[in-house]
Amino acid sequence: MTTTRKHSRGSWAVTVPLVLGALYCLLPVAWVLVAASKSGSTLFTSFTFAPGDALADNVAELSAYRDGLYWRWMANTALYAGGGALLSALLSGMAGYALAKYRFAGRAVIFNVLLGGVLVPAVVLAIPQYLLLSKVGLTDTYWSVLLPSIVSPYGIYLSRIYAAAAVPDEVVEAARTDGAGEFRTFRSVAMPMMVPGLITVFLFQFVAIWNNFLLPFIMLADDGRFPMTVGLYTLLNQGATAPALYSLVITGSLLSIVPLVALFLSLQRYWRIDLLSGSVKS
Amino acid sequence: MRRPSLTKTLTMSAVALLGAGLLTACTAEDDGAEAPAGDVELSFWSWVPEIEKAVDTWNAAHPDIHVTLSKQAGGGDLVTKLLTANQAGNPPDLVQAEYQSLPTLVSNNVLADIAEQAAPVKDQFADGVWQQVSLGTESVYAIPQDAGPMMFYYRADLFDEYGLTVPTTWDGFAEAARELRGKDDKKYLTTFSATDPGWFAGLAQQAGAAWWGIEGEAWRVSINDAATRKVADYWGGLVAEGAVSGQPMYTPEWNKALNDGTLLTWPSAVWAPAVLETSAPDTKGKWAMAPMPQWTAGENKTGNWGGSSTGVTELSKHKDAAVQFATWLNTDPVATELLVTGGGIYPAARAAQTGPALQKPPAFFPEQADFWTVAQQAADTAAGVTWGPNVNVTYDTYRDAFAKAITDKTPFSGALDAVQQATVDDMTKNGFTVAA
Amino acid sequence: MTKARRRGTHKPRIAPYAFLAPAIVLFTLLVLVPIGYAAYLSLRKVKVSGLGLGRNARTEIFAGLENYREALTDGDLWSGALRVLGYGLVLIPTMLGLALLFALLLDHPKTRMRRFTRISIFLPYAVPAVIASLLWGFLYLPAVSPLNRILAELGLPEPNVLDTGSVFYAVANIGLWGGVGFNMVVLFTALRAIPPELYEQARIDGCSEWQIATRIKIPLLFPALIMTTVFTMIATLQVFSEPVTLRPLSNSISSSWTPLMKVYQDAFARNDIYSAAATSVVIAFLTLVLSFGFLRLVAARAFAQERS
Repeated sequence: MTTTRKHSRGSWAVTVPLVLGALYCLLPVAWVLVAASKSGSTLFTSFTFAPGDALADNVAELSAYRDGLYWRWMANTALYAGGGALLSALLSGMAGYALAKYRFAGRAVIFNVLLGGVLVPAVVLAIPQYLLLSKVGLTDTYWSVLLPSIVSPYGIYLSRIYAAAAVPDEVVEAARTDGAGEFRTFRSVAMPMMVPGLITVFLFQFVAIWNNFLLPFIMLADDGRFPMTVGLYTLLNQGATAPALYSLVITGSLLSIVPLVALFLSLQRYWRIDLLSGSVKS
Repeated sequence: MRRPSLTKTLTMSAVALLGAGLLTACTAEDDGAEAPAGDVELSFWSWVPEIEKAVDTWNAAHPDIHVTLSKQAGGGDLVTKLLTANQAGNPPDLVQAEYQSLPTLVSNNVLADIAEQAAPVKDQFADGVWQQVSLGTESVYAIPQDAGPMMFYYRADLFDEYGLTVPTTWDGFAEAARELRGKDDKKYLTTFSATDPGWFAGLAQQAGAAWWGIEGEAWRVSINDAATRKVADYWGGLVAEGAVSGQPMYTPEWNKALNDGTLLTWPSAVWAPAVLETSAPDTKGKWAMAPMPQWTAGENKTGNWGGSSTGVTELSKHKDAAVQFATWLNTDPVATELLVTGGGIYPAARAAQTGPALQKPPAFFPEQADFWTVAQQAADTAAGVTWGPNVNVTYDTYRDAFAKAITDKTPFSGALDAVQQATVDDMTKNGFTVAA
Repeated sequence: MTKARRRGTHKPRIAPYAFLAPAIVLFTLLVLVPIGYAAYLSLRKVKVSGLGLGRNARTEIFAGLENYREALTDGDLWSGALRVLGYGLVLIPTMLGLALLFALLLDHPKTRMRRFTRISIFLPYAVPAVIASLLWGFLYLPAVSPLNRILAELGLPEPNVLDTGSVFYAVANIGLWGGVGFNMVVLFTALRAIPPELYEQARIDGCSEWQIATRIKIPLLFPALIMTTVFTMIATLQVFSEPVTLRPLSNSISSSWTPLMKVYQDAFARNDIYSAAATSVVIAFLTLVLSFGFLRLVAARAFAQERS
């Protein structure tokens, strides 16, 4: 069972630095909130942090743009991020578990090569990935964004380190001794213990894909498949001679933060799971 | 065991999501009616606001040629995306192409030569505009859509307040700039932006510059010719002495400056009213428009800033149908009306320049009854332009070099030389024949 | 017992390979092959003939090491690299120090407002980059910045953080703001993996939280800290989006202010994927040397929890 730490006396000394950090991080986010509440005509004329009263109007205007295309973009983003992060967490979890709990030929090489993937930024990979995927006719499809999003060297590293720390060898051995197969051991014994780590990988990959721009920008031609990042970018760049739709973009950005916050809040409880202590001889 | 159902939940969610994704991927063809078999399907990339209305009108009237619009982000990004798609073999049938990107696109075999199909509409456009889509050759690579002749916008009310006269020459402009700084050191007559090379190119065109030209089988590159040097040093001098500002355009600060009167004028193009409406809403009705200041008193020359066209791709399987749509879009009165009212563009087709949408002055300039008359005069006299095959390199170097010149307070002609050098180097490196 | 004991048999283990297979397959197809293709492209270039406007005027030819020679002799690239090193020296200790501090504080038994601070510090990671230029424009540009307004009210001089001298720190600030939450969550997750029994005993024995943090938690966090440093180092050497964000707002950031910006310019603005490929190989190589060098230095601590 989760042990909750109930304290009757908190300490402000340790809380204050955190609050200061929180305020620092919140400042630009507060700007997005305030700016989204302003109508277009007061955006550049009022004091930067003076709130307006046009939030509902802005949201309505955004929804009306091309018959609700923004919400289609949000649904696309949820698909890319949810599907991609889920698959990524699964794959990374399996890979991390294997790298942490087994000794096998090529382990170091495989890990180093996988990690080396971080060395190559998306800017460099985007165009070659596009050209390669177009050879199999996958460009401008949902898969063209999902598949590259599943690969996460950082997620594999995170899973490895978490598996090493959270899954004691004794537990794995115990399961093996009981006759469980490797995959069953992973699924029933190790994975539940790795949940906080997997949740972290899921969350990070979710946010990374949610906010990813370059990959879908290159891969997708049909604007009905755009994620929000690319969609909002088109609103901001309506050509050199047309005004940018500032209010719509800011409102759209605010709305895109909301699901991420909700996700983060709902996943928080998984970080409170304590480790099993039952089957381990201490 | 801790939550064995978690694994099940996760797996089931994964399956559900994947299933949904697959389903959507397979069935996510274009919204709207599928064109019946035997008819033509065209794909069109554009960014012009509300161009979907024009596309819908076409589709309603032409069930046999169905155009699917995909709205992309404008500017240089689209060129890269287009080049990459073309390289992979799947570009759209129709593209919105800014004039300065046409040689790049042609050089990369993206655009088809539609001279034959486009011949009937050639005389509907001014020569200067047609030159931009024919690259000065016999071929035609796109149908012109809009034009961006440059003119001068100023705050009439603030000019009265500070006792300034509307400059008709650049010398007069410089005097007015200094006079304003003397009267109020918090205001500037205008700003020189290092982030907008197209603006500078237009001003250079006004002075008679021709940055690229084709001589036989070779390119001539003369970005730092005498005319452009004159323009560069003029502005460099003004920035160095503090008579005009050096801040970039299209930033929140610039928007605020236009709105609260920190900047009194904006040398810009015919599409400026819509931008002013978004950036400086408090100043409605306070602006006026006049022809651009001239280098020689009494002249009537101007340049171009912006403007785009509709091109047909080489890999398109329905070129004739595509040209049919492109021609309709840019010359038909109904279509051009929609483009003007929705997209805020100034049409390149001469007949459309006197169309119904342009009978009243723009909403932001309610007092200026002759707005469109002056605009059409400017459009007629706007210089023709030949763009080179690596305008993106030129523009990129411009941004770096002029920004540095502003911060280092060095002469702008030095920056100009850097731009010339970079352009020539890039062309030679790629194998273009450059005349010495 | 109906099942024979397997201990002692040398049955070849395919399990680890099976677990790794999906990741490896996808990685090979979507990362290794594109990298290989990019490396291939770095040895090529485009040759145009004459005016370049004809149908077949453009061909791709073998260029040998020409792209590399150009990249390595480009002064802008090296000054950008130097700038990025300085950027890393400033940013990495600050960011990781703060992330570690916040993670430890969140793990402290007496901290209040955990939920609020945790989600607030994470929030920057959620803000989409599409509005970054607008957002930071409003916060940095003197005419609209609330900071300048407050300073003006107080009669203090108003700085322009986008001037040449301070734009470096303006960029670093964005990087710090965006990255501290991410690293904090990673370190916090690692902290959560530590069995509490390890320091419950110390608590009962009367150790202060500070001692627990410095003597128990931080040493146990070394693997996470080291790898977080390496990843932050790599991300910093690849810094790209923060300066690109500020570029339209300032005259002080060139298109090759950092090496990766140059790669982006080449690939996406100049349509020269070949130079971009060569430059990125150079950058990747230097990053590899630096990060693996660092890892070598601290190798022993990196995977302390696994039997090696």
